Amino acid sequence: MAISEPVLLILLSLAEQPRHGYAILQDTERMSDGRVRLSTGTLYGALGRLLEDKWIERFKEPERSRGRQAYRLTDEGRRNLQMEVSRFEHLARLGKLRAAENGT
Amino acid sequence: MLALYRLILYLYPAAYRGEYADEMLEVLSERHEGMRKKSAPARAACAAREAGGLLDGALQEHLRPLNRAHGRGRFSFMFLGGRVRMRSEFRFPKATVGLMLVILAAVMLTIEKAKAISASIPHANPPVGHIYPSQITILPTLLVVLISAIGAGVIGWAILFALRRSGIQQLSEMKPSAGERSGK
Repeated sequence: MAISEPVLLILLSLAEQPRHGYAILQDTERMSDGRVRLSTGTLYGALGRLLEDKWIERFKEPERSRGRQAYRLTDEGRRNLQMEVSRFEHLARLGKLRAAENGT
Repeated sequence: MLALYRLILYLYPAAYRGEYADEMLEVLSERHEGMRKKSAPARAACAAREAGGLLDGALQEHLRPLNRAHGRGRFSFMFLGGRVRMRSEFRFPKATVGLMLVILAAVMLTIEKAKAISASIPHANPPVGHIYPSQITILPTLLVVLISAIGAGVIGWAILFALRRSGIQQLSEMKPSAGERSGK
């Protein structure tokens, strides 16, 4: 089953660098120009599934005195993300072609 | 607002709450801080979205074993469409989240109202007489039930034993073998 845009944004956020919950929310909002606004409940639901499927892992941020929990992509998660990005690229190419055909 | 979020977090399964509740509250608190400079309608919309998201999340966490048992496809829950993400036969309209919020508020209001009424009517009920411990009647009753059950069991076993002794069962077993002999 293919992943949705919010999940893709979460994965892209973690692909850049490990992040904690609030930083993921801010980054997904920034990447989508404010279009995708995840609630905390939705974010943690998605993170739970990604952890369960071992796409991401949870760890304590070492440099923070508060010892906050953060998330990062696993190797498997990065491979899967690359496959998903390829799928989106294919769809984008197809979309451009079809849209152009309809326009003429 | 954080008190409401904390209350909704109690709807999550206990194990999940133990693992993530503090972290989620921290994120919610940061979100709250981030919205401080925004307008009142924007803050209200954000709070409603967060409360709805938490309710949805609690529901999803309770349904997770069910989805797993039904062989949920990978990430099928993550399609953020117009309906709460569930299997097609269990779909609810998105308004369910709002409805649940209203019900939650109504329940809380009713509890508070009941407390107020209870406090305003001091000792309105008539005094109740002495209450005797129930064990005095329960134990002999249990003993009678136990003896009756044992008695019924013994009688049943005795009937079966008598039938076996009378040869009825042996005869029923012998008939097919006699038929077999005649067939040969």
